[in-house]
Amino acid sequence: MIGPMTDAKTPFGATALALALLATPAAAQPRDTLTIGLAQATGTFHPNIESMLAKSYILGFARRPLTAHGPDWRPLCTGCESFPTLENGQVVQETTPDGKPGMRVTWRLREDLRWGDGRPVTAEDLRFAWEAGRAFETGFGGAEFYRSAYEFQSTDPRTVTLRFDKVSFDAGSAGKFEPLPAHIDRPIWEADRRNYRSRTAYDTNTTNPGLWNGPYRIAAVQPGAGVTLERNEAWAGPAPAFRRINIRVVENSAALEAQLLAGQIDMIAGELGLSLDQAIALERRSRNRFRFEYRPGLVWEHLDLRLDNPVLSDVRVRQALMLAIDRPKIVQSLFDNRQPVAATSIHPDDPMIDKALTPWPHDPARAAALLDEAGWRPGPDGIRRNAAGERLTLDLQTTAGNRSRETVLQVIQGMWRAAGVEARIANQPPRVLFGETLSQRRFQGAALFAWISSPENVPRSTLHSDEIPTAARNWSGQNYPGYSNPEMDALLEALPQELDAAKRRPMWSRLQALTHRDLPAIPLWHRAEPHVWPQWLDGVRPTGNMSPSSLWVTDWRVR
Amino acid sequence: MWRMIAWRLPQIAATIVILSLAAYLAIGAMPGDPISLAMMADPRLGAADIERMRALHGLDQPLLARWWAWASGVLRGEFGYSRLFARPAAEILWPALRGSLVLLGAALALAATLGIAAGMLAALRPSWRAPVDALALASQALPAFWLGILLIILFAVTLGWLPAGGTPDAPGMLEAGRFLVLPVATLAIAHLAAYARHTAAAMAEVLRAPWITAARARGAPESRIALNHALPNAAVPLLSILALDAGALVSGALITETVFARPGMGKLLTDAVLGNDHNLALLALLLVAATTLLATLAADLAQRALDPRLAQGR
Amino acid sequence: MTRLRLGLAILLLLTTAAIAAPWVAAWLGVDPDVPDLLARQSGPSAAHPLGTDELGRDILARLLFGARVSLAVGLAAALASTAIGLAAGLLAAWRGGWVDALLMRLADGLLALPALPLLVLLAAMDPAALGLPRGGALTDVLRIVLILAIFGWVGVARLSRAAAISVLARDHVRAARALGVSEARLLRRHVAPALAAPLTVAGSLAVAGAILAESTLSFLGLGIQPPASSWGNMLANAQDLVFSAPMAALWPGLAIAAAVAGAMLVADGLRRGQETP
Repeated sequence: MIGPMTDAKTPFGATALALALLATPAAAQPRDTLTIGLAQATGTFHPNIESMLAKSYILGFARRPLTAHGPDWRPLCTGCESFPTLENGQVVQETTPDGKPGMRVTWRLREDLRWGDGRPVTAEDLRFAWEAGRAFETGFGGAEFYRSAYEFQSTDPRTVTLRFDKVSFDAGSAGKFEPLPAHIDRPIWEADRRNYRSRTAYDTNTTNPGLWNGPYRIAAVQPGAGVTLERNEAWAGPAPAFRRINIRVVENSAALEAQLLAGQIDMIAGELGLSLDQAIALERRSRNRFRFEYRPGLVWEHLDLRLDNPVLSDVRVRQALMLAIDRPKIVQSLFDNRQPVAATSIHPDDPMIDKALTPWPHDPARAAALLDEAGWRPGPDGIRRNAAGERLTLDLQTTAGNRSRETVLQVIQGMWRAAGVEARIANQPPRVLFGETLSQRRFQGAALFAWISSPENVPRSTLHSDEIPTAARNWSGQNYPGYSNPEMDALLEALPQELDAAKRRPMWSRLQALTHRDLPAIPLWHRAEPHVWPQWLDGVRPTGNMSPSSLWVTDWRVR
Repeated sequence: MWRMIAWRLPQIAATIVILSLAAYLAIGAMPGDPISLAMMADPRLGAADIERMRALHGLDQPLLARWWAWASGVLRGEFGYSRLFARPAAEILWPALRGSLVLLGAALALAATLGIAAGMLAALRPSWRAPVDALALASQALPAFWLGILLIILFAVTLGWLPAGGTPDAPGMLEAGRFLVLPVATLAIAHLAAYARHTAAAMAEVLRAPWITAARARGAPESRIALNHALPNAAVPLLSILALDAGALVSGALITETVFARPGMGKLLTDAVLGNDHNLALLALLLVAATTLLATLAADLAQRALDPRLAQGR
Repeated sequence: MTRLRLGLAILLLLTTAAIAAPWVAAWLGVDPDVPDLLARQSGPSAAHPLGTDELGRDILARLLFGARVSLAVGLAAALASTAIGLAAGLLAAWRGGWVDALLMRLADGLLALPALPLLVLLAAMDPAALGLPRGGALTDVLRIVLILAIFGWVGVARLSRAAAISVLARDHVRAARALGVSEARLLRRHVAPALAAPLTVAGSLAVAGAILAESTLSFLGLGIQPPASSWGNMLANAQDLVFSAPMAALWPGLAIAAAVAGAMLVADGLRRGQETP
């Protein structure tokens, strides 16, 4: 039923003929359009409201933020002239009016940056973004940046200085602070700040060229189904190769692969596309048709452990669980060695990686010894018991419907069982797991999920004891395991304020050593994004960081 | 007839009000509200931000109060804003509704035509009974997504005759038709069985009636008996299936829409329900419920008109 | 009667296979739930007659153990729907008045709602909120049965209400009632025989519907959770890799089709049996 049908005497004969007449042959056209498949739909197109991967990928074609991390993970200017540093004088340490240590950071906008309606991008656009961000009723996420940036200065239309009431080594990368078209959205915002989020031109008039300052502009939106991008006539940078880029949303991964194989989409974005094992299987079959690149990104797959569970509060048990998992074997057999085993949450390509720290090995003997030492002795059914006769059992959870994670979880369950640990799998739909079980700390054992971060991102929210979610704090914070270590807290507080990279390095090493030893979470690997693009396309550079590859679309060329 | 309408319409209205309340509460009772999910995505949200955002979205109000605010908005003709798509809910609904009407309209028309034809064939020609039965059985037994994927593998990937899903870039009926073939086939196969079975059963019963025997005795041709006498009478039970399918027409076909990546009400409803998008979910649910309830009423009325026995019964 | 026999034969065969699952697994020397990363997606062989899945587990053994779960879901959901529907239908017919009106409007309302998004809604709820423990195949089965029964009872309720009303309207039943015959006796002697036939038909159709519904929930990631297998989750898991390993999807699909067809043949056979006694 699966193979090609060549026998004309099939019962389909007549139908087949009719269908063949319907089918129009794909004529050889000049390649001036590119169709990209994406596995997630977008909601709002406003850059500052909600963060979604699909949105950031699409906006990469159509907007230029102030700064980004390049494919080599160095911070660079995309909308500014030079990246602010202490050395070039654009970052200056100073004292705030109320006597606290602070700093001022200056960005100079690129001269040729224009909105799609021809108006130049100016300091006023950044002033609007800053004011809207600081007006908390507007409802931008990440208010901390705006709270900290207490003063906006602009001496000329292209120069902008922000004053911060605290010191931070990464102040130069402006994060989500990027120009918003004041000439379009400021009147809307001023008319009704509370409802700006539903009235912004980004959602009411998405195809207005004046909203876009990248190589492309959004020319049409099919909600939930896709976006059509066309060249931005006002773009003054290098011209992109394609007249039009179609983004197609196909949420079902088998359907996504089918559309690629049927030639309806040319490429699949690695940022949000096929699962890794699916891509590996596809590459085995159609190596010649497509090009594949696997980029291990800043997506750290790990098992958060509930540290106040009496079983898991013993670090020896956590270490034994770590030693019992044969990560190299999993990575080899399920993922074709495409993603590196993680030593800690810090990515091997991160500038602050401590290369001396090696990942925990697979060592069943040491795991057994540690469990014995912790008082868990082998029981009659192969599951270990403590002195009180309690069996060593744990809940093991991940997002239901994510087949790759479900698969991994079953392998880990088997490996733990071999070590005498019983794991009960209780997967939940993502919104239940993330919206309640993890965020309100209702999980009891281990939960498999991923954190996405940026290069040299201080993991305060996941490791500081102040970030343990509680009802009193509205469940804010992401320290779901409940890790609390004064030394770690001190490190996390001191790190951002140390502006000298050389002095930060030993602090980062200590941070990695602590998580490596204490294991509040079991590191698995850094997830690789499988990028699939056609043989005739050159110049796509997957970044593996939060800056999507689409930011460099002007480098994409037809071979 | 008017009495029946006057009696049933208020009941339909009351049902819809209660349904809206139940659905609103059920969606609200699901764990994980939008803000908890936003917290997960943005580590920099502090306790104060969360409180502020909950108030901004009205999530600090009790569910009942939120339902009341929503319901009074709907009465004023304001259907609210879709949280998920960042657009007015009504604006999101139309493309999905159009997609479902086209897809299911075509599939149901095909299913009804083929199903009724097959059912008549089975009733009139005994030799056709077994194949028609087998066909109906197979069409009902296949899981829809399995069938859909098999069709994609065969016709889109292996043979390359038809698109594997999605919607056409270029306008034009022919192009739109090509994209419809596989999803329509998948759906039509699933719906065909009910029509075939009911037609066959009803026809068989009608054909045993004395007045058909009389018509035969008068020498009326068999084709005329089948089409002019038997079919209209057999149509009565078919009306109730049609009424239920009218609901399917607007509620969409989640699986087929997902596998073929087509916009439609099934996926919209599921996304809205799972995405905590109250305004969009409720609007879509109520549209489906109202359509089904009204279609059932219409089918009851039509049945009474066609079959006087039912009218006398009450 | 051939349909009935054919249907029963198919279901009997599947049930036997389900019962025999542990012995077959033991005979093959495989554990259906334990992954073997060295034998992923291998083709049919003496050790694995139908090959292995993406985690190197024996497909035949998983299919047989899956039969237990899928058939149990089908049967339990049908029984639960029939029991609830019968109770509601009889209550409505017996009491009439506002009880009848309330139950039937509830039924209308449930029929008017699109079932699938609501199944999804219910499936996404936390089982702990319903007082069920988390995890474990048995909990999953109970959860799915409960969800399917919430929608499944409506049809049965309407059917039994109509049948009961028509029986209660017969002259001899009205006379018996007037004479003060106890309600239990009335139910046993007159109503139960009239209901038995249509209920068995509706029950077998419900089995078919529940098996299909389980596969649909699995497709959406809300079905039986791994590592336990069901036909639905085997099919859903095979989906991602359907282009490279189509056989892994073929078998569970065929198993579902066979079970559904079997249940429908039984329903069909029973119905025809009633029409021409």
